[in-house]
Amino acid sequence: MALLTLAPPSRASALPRWMGLEGLVIGGAILALIVLVVLPVLSLVAASVWDKGLTGGFFATALGSTANLRALGNSLILGAWTGLLSIAIGVPLAWAVSRTNVPAKGLIQLTATLSYLSPPFLTAIAFVNLFSPNAGVANVFLREVLGIDGGFNIFTMSGLVFVTVLHTFPFVYLLASSALQSVDASYEEAAQILGASKLRTALTITLPLVAPAVLSGTLLAFVNAIALFGSQAIIGLPGRVVTLPTRIYALFDYPPQYGVASALSLLFIAITVIALYLQRAFLARRSYVTLAGKGARPQLMDLGPWRWALFAVCVVAFFIAILLPYGTLIAVSFSKSWGLGFWQNLTLENYRFILIDYDVTRRAILNSLMLATIAATLCVFLGAVISWIDIRTRLPGRKLLDYAALIPLGLPGIVMAVALLQFWLKMPIALYGTFAILLLAYVGRYVPLGVRAANSSLRQIDPSLEEAAQILGASWGTRMKEITLPLIRPGLFAGWLLVFVPVIQELSASILLFSSQSITLAVAVYNLYETGYTEPVAALAIVNMIIIAVAIGIARQFGGSRIGLKTGS
Amino acid sequence: MAGIQINNLSKYYGTKEGGAAVSALNLDIKDNQFVTLLGPSGCGKTTTLRLIAGYVTPDAGTIRVGDRVVSSADGVAPPDQRGMGMVFQNYAVWPHKTVFENVVFGLKLRKVPAEAARRKVLDTLAMVNLGGLENRLPNELSGGQQQRVALARSLVVEPGILLLDEPLSNLDAKLREKMRTELKQLQRRTGITFVYVTHDQAEALALSDQIAVMHGGELQQYGSPDDVYRRPANKIVADFMGIVNFLPGTVVAGSGASAGRLAVAIDGVEVPAPVHATYSPGQPVDLSVRPENIRLSPGAAPGALGAVVTDMTYLGNLVEYWLQLESGTALRAQTHPLERFAIGDRVGLSIDAADCSVFSRAAAH
Repeated sequence: MALLTLAPPSRASALPRWMGLEGLVIGGAILALIVLVVLPVLSLVAASVWDKGLTGGFFATALGSTANLRALGNSLILGAWTGLLSIAIGVPLAWAVSRTNVPAKGLIQLTATLSYLSPPFLTAIAFVNLFSPNAGVANVFLREVLGIDGGFNIFTMSGLVFVTVLHTFPFVYLLASSALQSVDASYEEAAQILGASKLRTALTITLPLVAPAVLSGTLLAFVNAIALFGSQAIIGLPGRVVTLPTRIYALFDYPPQYGVASALSLLFIAITVIALYLQRAFLARRSYVTLAGKGARPQLMDLGPWRWALFAVCVVAFFIAILLPYGTLIAVSFSKSWGLGFWQNLTLENYRFILIDYDVTRRAILNSLMLATIAATLCVFLGAVISWIDIRTRLPGRKLLDYAALIPLGLPGIVMAVALLQFWLKMPIALYGTFAILLLAYVGRYVPLGVRAANSSLRQIDPSLEEAAQILGASWGTRMKEITLPLIRPGLFAGWLLVFVPVIQELSASILLFSSQSITLAVAVYNLYETGYTEPVAALAIVNMIIIAVAIGIARQFGGSRIGLKTGS
Repeated sequence: MAGIQINNLSKYYGTKEGGAAVSALNLDIKDNQFVTLLGPSGCGKTTTLRLIAGYVTPDAGTIRVGDRVVSSADGVAPPDQRGMGMVFQNYAVWPHKTVFENVVFGLKLRKVPAEAARRKVLDTLAMVNLGGLENRLPNELSGGQQQRVALARSLVVEPGILLLDEPLSNLDAKLREKMRTELKQLQRRTGITFVYVTHDQAEALALSDQIAVMHGGELQQYGSPDDVYRRPANKIVADFMGIVNFLPGTVVAGSGASAGRLAVAIDGVEVPAPVHATYSPGQPVDLSVRPENIRLSPGAAPGALGAVVTDMTYLGNLVEYWLQLESGTALRAQTHPLERFAIGDRVGLSIDAADCSVFSRAAAH
């Protein structure tokens, strides 16, 4: 039967639809996702059980050797303590902001946001400058000025937990405060009118309502904590606290043990995936809170004079999490030689060194800027296409595509790097040590953020807006360009920023994939630190933070001011 | 040039059994007509409209425009190549474009020169009473104004067929009535074939040349407003087109066209009824009659249908009475406010055969 065109708009297309622009873009996105995520993960699985034949040897070693088991145990201990302490810090702060009349709520919000944005390996370096057993300024001060021997040694599990919590408590804080804000006061008032005391109300009504959100935030804190290579290398290795990321990294020392590294990586993935699965399950249970979400009116508790005590706690949190590390890094970056006589040896030499004299750091800054810009742009467009397929088409298997785009959430950075290495070493294209493999790692790792940003924007746009353009004769490309993309632009900018910020400071995957030509900012910081350049490292850290601040400023200028968490739903 | 023939059209969602959104639909929409698809939500009217637009691929059947097939189970000409217009229930006015940019969009796609396009947009905006608002953004417009933008955007490209999906349902009552009049005039003036979807039977009666009443994915009746209101094809249509009383009775005699009239016994009283199907004596039937077609008289005359007033509601332009027949059947009647009865009064009922319909009681419903 002949299909026809009635009063054709000026475009005549004889091609079947799947061969047009729409088909190309959709096909490209699917292919990209397969190459970025699916194939590397499959090759990781293959490498863990294949050594000229099927073998269980790699898993036996991964689970049998003391070194590997200790790393596994340390990672779990680190994650558990970090999760618990994130609750201990995050929940009271969330409660203070959402439910009390504590002053300076903006300060708490700022503390949480900055803590989340600060790269943990920079915080780690800052605290090493203060609390390393011999040269840490705080310890030196205690010993030489106050005569107290036995300061705090940062190179321990406690030190590692401390530094990690500063980065992870915002996960609990943000989820708990949004849950607390969506519990309508009428629930609590209903309990109180029936005779329940404030404490009883809090325990029997409010707590159960927000518990899923708190647990979900805790699991996110856990997953993020155990994946951080930088802080675990900087603090853990000198103190012989080996964890999964640092153990996997060590397996690549000559001779590299790819099989064992792959098996260990898969165990790492299993832990992460289980935690994320539980997190989603808890978060799904939260839905009954948001039922009343529209115009929820939270009840604020008048703390009386106690609000000043709570305020003091908040100030202390701000001091420890923000002021202390940043103050230290700034001070170190302007020092000739870091120590007690700070005011006697101020200098700009460190900035001159990293920005002008030393070609490696210069190159690293430019590389990271370029890689982050490209990776963020690719992630956002890939995310837009994938979520468009999911929401707007009836393509068979589109749900699978959506799941595939979520896989990277379960991949710690170093595991992503191992997977990419496994896959591309076997390919005839020599990608190892190039910009391309870093780009693949970044886009693959952060594509879930792009998908999520586009997804939530796209869901707010009624399909009829696209359909109205279609019936007027607009082709797929025109509809995207004229209607859909302009409408989701604010969400895409937010998503761009969400990818740009972590890529600028990415260390966990880069550490295995960089070469001297493709060295990145975070790797340069780490290498300089390893070689003992304490002061230039601090200067580079400050430059890193300035770049992030500028990026946030620019993105806010262009596309609204939403900034949220890395993972979660 | 722009009539639409729908043959045997079906669309299933989920399983084939019970999942039919549209089932074996046949509809002949003539050129230059105002045709309404009417029915309750879930009756398949919106799916039918989206099938006509080409957003949905049918599972069986065909849609032709003129003599050419635009939709079949084998494939559809996509909406962007049909040259139709569509007005959406939520208007779908693009929020990031001004009124002018919204309306000029289709002309740009058709490569109309800028100056000509500009003139045409302004003319169309004037036609829908939006002159002077061309630089506003949609969020600066009222619901009614956005609705007109959507209309202007569809009309400016001069489509042969305009599809409208409940375009008035989001407007308040007064505005709805005003827009109703304007739509009708617009259709007459432009000669465009309108296919209009609504669940509001008053709207359908007021606007349409032809009404297609749909229920459960099936076409129940296709006819003029007068047809579907006064001569409903079945109880579903009778019920949907307004308030109706179903009086249970039994066919007495006079079956067949020869008799010209049918008599139905209700409470033992014979009532004349129209003939539009063959019934045999003794068959149980329902006599359907609308409240405004029941005349009441004080007292019950012997041999006439009698009832007792159980309740009344004063509606201003008329009074509605709730009545109870001797058999217990309840019914509603509407009279002019000057004829007043009190609760408890016995009244006589007279019904004109021309104003009622007879349905077999075993029939659907």
